[in-house]
Amino acid sequence: MSITVETYPTLREAASAMRDGTRFLGGGTMVVRGLNFGAQTYDRVVRSTDAALRDIRSDGTGLHIGAGVTMAQIMQTASTDFLAPVARAVGGPAVRNMATVGGNLFARAPYGDFGTALLALDATVQMADGQSLAIETFYAHRAGSRGLVAAVTVPRPASGAFRFAKITRTRPKGASLLCIAAHLPGGTRISGARLAFGAMGPTPLRAKEAEAALDGAALDPAGIQRALDTCLNGLDPQDDALASAWYRRAVAPVHLRRLLLGEET
Amino acid sequence: MSSVEFRKDLFADERDDNLNEIGKPTIRQDIIGHVTGRSKFYDDHLFDGLLHMRCVRSPHHHANIRHVDTSAAERMPGIRRIIRPSDVPHNINTLLALINFGRDDEQLLSAGRVTYKGEPILAVVADTERQARDAVAAVRVEYEELPHVLDVEEALKPGAPTVNAEYPNNSFDYHDLYDHQKLRFGDTQAALAQADHIVEGTYQMSPIEQAPVETCGAIAAPEQNGRYVCHTSTQALFFSIGVTAKLLDMPSSQLHFIGGTVGGGFGGKVDSHHEPLAVLGAMLTGRPVKYMWDRTEEFRVGAPRGAERWRIRDGVMNDGRIVAREFTGFFDSGAYTRLSSYAIIKGTGHLPGPYTIPNVSSNVYCVYTNRTPATAMRGFGITGVDFAIECHMDKVAETVGMNPIELRILNAYRDGDMKAHRRVAKNCALIECCQVAAQKAGITLSPEAMAASSKEGGGIGWRAEVPETAIDDMGRIGDRRNREIPPEPYGGATQRGSVPAGTRGEAVVAAEVQDPDMQIDPTRVGHAVSQAVGQPAPPTPAPQSGAPIPAPVPAPAPAPTASAPPPIPAPSAAPPPQQPAPSAFAEPGAPAQPQQPYKPEKPFQRGVKRPGVSRFISGTRRR
Repeated sequence: MSITVETYPTLREAASAMRDGTRFLGGGTMVVRGLNFGAQTYDRVVRSTDAALRDIRSDGTGLHIGAGVTMAQIMQTASTDFLAPVARAVGGPAVRNMATVGGNLFARAPYGDFGTALLALDATVQMADGQSLAIETFYAHRAGSRGLVAAVTVPRPASGAFRFAKITRTRPKGASLLCIAAHLPGGTRISGARLAFGAMGPTPLRAKEAEAALDGAALDPAGIQRALDTCLNGLDPQDDALASAWYRRAVAPVHLRRLLLGEET
Repeated sequence: MSSVEFRKDLFADERDDNLNEIGKPTIRQDIIGHVTGRSKFYDDHLFDGLLHMRCVRSPHHHANIRHVDTSAAERMPGIRRIIRPSDVPHNINTLLALINFGRDDEQLLSAGRVTYKGEPILAVVADTERQARDAVAAVRVEYEELPHVLDVEEALKPGAPTVNAEYPNNSFDYHDLYDHQKLRFGDTQAALAQADHIVEGTYQMSPIEQAPVETCGAIAAPEQNGRYVCHTSTQALFFSIGVTAKLLDMPSSQLHFIGGTVGGGFGGKVDSHHEPLAVLGAMLTGRPVKYMWDRTEEFRVGAPRGAERWRIRDGVMNDGRIVAREFTGFFDSGAYTRLSSYAIIKGTGHLPGPYTIPNVSSNVYCVYTNRTPATAMRGFGITGVDFAIECHMDKVAETVGMNPIELRILNAYRDGDMKAHRRVAKNCALIECCQVAAQKAGITLSPEAMAASSKEGGGIGWRAEVPETAIDDMGRIGDRRNREIPPEPYGGATQRGSVPAGTRGEAVVAAEVQDPDMQIDPTRVGHAVSQAVGQPAPPTPAPQSGAPIPAPVPAPAPAPTASAPPPIPAPSAAPPPQQPAPSAFAEPGAPAQPQQPYKPEKPFQRGVKRPGVSRFISGTRRR
C-alpha cells in the first residue's frame, strides 16, 4: 500500500475529500505514528493549510480556539492561560509543538487530556460543515463520526474555578493513568460543578452523580464525601499497559479528593 | 566527580589498594562516542538495496496452525520472499545447547503449533518496511485454538495442557531425574518442629521488560566467498554466531558478525533470534536484509525477566536466630526454556541468601506456560529470590520484635561458614554493609551489632560443617502428571533417607575441557554440522604460481604427557601429527614462514569489491 498525502487550502475542501481509508492530519502525533507502525486501516492522509485553523480569539460566547492550534500555542497565548497547565501536561515539548486541539478530541485513552478539560468546561465543538455540537454530544458520537472539527468554543471560567490533575507513572512525559478536570463555580458553595475524567473510559466522561453531589457543598472533607462515593458511577475504565481497570477505579476517588481539597496530587 | 564513597577502612588487610582499576572510579571507554552521538549502532550501517523483514505472529496463546495462505501477500508489490519454517535448515534449538544444557525445544519459525502470543510463524522480506508490514497483514492463517495455561502452579497440575512438546510435563528436567531443582542441607522439617516461631510468606514478581532504547535487531548482507556479514545489537556475539551456525547448518567461519555497540541490553539481547533470521533472509534473497523489532514487539515478544513466585517458611527462635528456611520457587519460563533453567541453578546456589542457617531446603521449578519466553536480565535467578528473602527478613524481624538490621547482622554469614550449596563462604561483607547503612540512615544499633564482624565468629563448630541431611525422592520427572504432589520440599514424601554429615555431593561438570593442543574437535563445536563440515580439508596441492599465500603451518608436536591417553578420543578424521593442518586452526604463536601482506594488482578504489567487505555497504550514518 502506498501512502498518499493531499493538501487543501481550506478546511471545507479537506472535509469533502474525507472518505474510507483516510485520516485528517492535524499535528501528526497520532496519524504519522500509525503510518510508521504500518496501520492497515488507512493509506490516505488529508491535510489543510487553512489559516483559520490556527486562530485564537474571543467572541460573544467565550474563547474561540481553532482546531489546528497546538499545545505549545495554548501555553504561549495570554488569553488561554487557564488551559496552559492542561496543554503542558500533554506529551513532551516535541509533541506539544505539533499536537493540536482538534486532534486531541479524537485521541483514544489514555490520551486526550486536553479534551477532558474541554469537557469539564462545557465547550462547544464547531464542525467543518457549520454544525455546532455540545462537547458531550460530540464525544458520544465520536466513534462513528467522519466530520472534521473546525474549532472549539470555551467559556472562560472564573479565576480559580477550574482545576486539572493528571496522574502518571512517569513525569513529566507519562501518559495518563487517569486525568481529572473540575470546573467548580460558586466559590465557597459550589453550584453547577462539572467533573470530567480522562482515561476512565473510551472517551473522556463526566461523573454526573458526583457533580450533583457537589451542588451546594463546601470543598471540605465532609462536603465532598458524597461526590467521592459516587464519582465512579458512569465511568468505564479499561485495562491497558499502564494500569488495570481495577487500579484506576481504586485510585480515582483518592485523586479526586486531593484535587477538590487542593492537596498535592 | 563521583558520589561513590570508598570505605577503605574496611577489610584493608584483605585488599591491595595499589591496583590501577579496581577500587578506583573509572570512565567507561565508550562514553565519549555515546554522549557526542558518534557511536555507531547496528542500524547506523547503511546498505544499498536493503530489504526489510517482518514476522507473521500468533494472535493466540496456544493454537494449532491449520492452514497458512500467503497467496495474497506474495502478489503484493515489493515482496521478495516469504520465509517459512521449512526454509530454516535446522529449525530447532535451545539457547543453552552451546553449553550442553537442556534439549532443543524452540523453532526459529514455528510450524504446526504456536504456544505463546506473538510467536513467529513466517517472515516476510520486502523492499520497504511498509510493504513488509502490509504483506504480514495480508497473510491468512487459520488457527485451531487450544486450551492454554498462564499460571505456574496451574501448569504443574495433572490436567494442564502441555505447552512445550520437548518437556511434556510443563517443567524442565533436572539431572534427568527430577522435575525441579532440589537443595537439601540439614533437616528443615525437624528444625521447624523445634522452632519458637514459623514465619511464612509468598512473594510474586511480575515479568520485567529490559526496555532498551535501541530495539533488538540485525542487518545481514552477503559478503564474498559465501560469507555473510551481520551487524547486530547482540550482547553475546559468539553466542549469536553459534546459534546462527546451528540453525542455518553452516560453519561459523562463513559468518562475519560485527557487534560491540549495544544500545542498552540488560540481558534482553542474548536470545539470538534476529541474527539467524537476518542471515537467512540475506541467503535466500542475495540482498542485505534488516530485521528489527519495533517498540511494540520489543515489549510484547521480547523476552523479559521471567515472573517468579516464591514461598518461604522460616523456623525462628525467640532471640532472632533463624534455624530453618524452606523455599518453594516457581520460575515462569514462558513457552520455551531459553535461560530460565540455568537461572534456577544460579538461584539455588544463592539460597538461603547471605545468611548462615543450619537447615535449608528448596524445591525450585522451571515451569512452561503459554507466556512470552523469559530470558536473562541483570542478576537473573538471584534478584527475584533476593527480593523475597529480604522482604521475608523484615517479616521475621517483625515477628520476633527485633530491629531488622540487627536481625540481619545476627544471621549474616561470616568468613568460614558452610553455605547450603556446600561451599565455604569467604570475603563476607554483609555485616559491615549493614553497619554502614545503619549509620548512613541514622539508625542506632546495639553495641553487640556494632561490634560484630564478618571476619570473626564464622567457621566455628556447626557453622563450618555440612550437617547430616534428610533427603527424599519426590517429584521425579513425570510424577506430577499422574497425581498432585505438594510442591514444597519433602512434599508428599512418606519415606525419607539421609546423607551422613560431611558429605558434599558431586560436582556437576557441564562441558569437557578442550583438548590441550587446541585442535578443533567436531564433537565439541556444540552443534550438529553436516558431515562435510568440521573435517579437515583434503591436502591442497602446492601452489603452482609464485603468489605469496600463507604457508601451511605444521601442527604442534604432541604434548609432553603423550603417554597418557587423550581425554577425548581423537576423531578418526583428525590429521595425524606432523601432517599440515588447516592454517586457520594453527596456534598464533607457532613458527611460520615469513608472510607477505596481501597486495592487489591494482590499488582498490571506493566501490570496488574488496575482499572481506560486503559489496552492498555504502556508508554509515555517523562518522
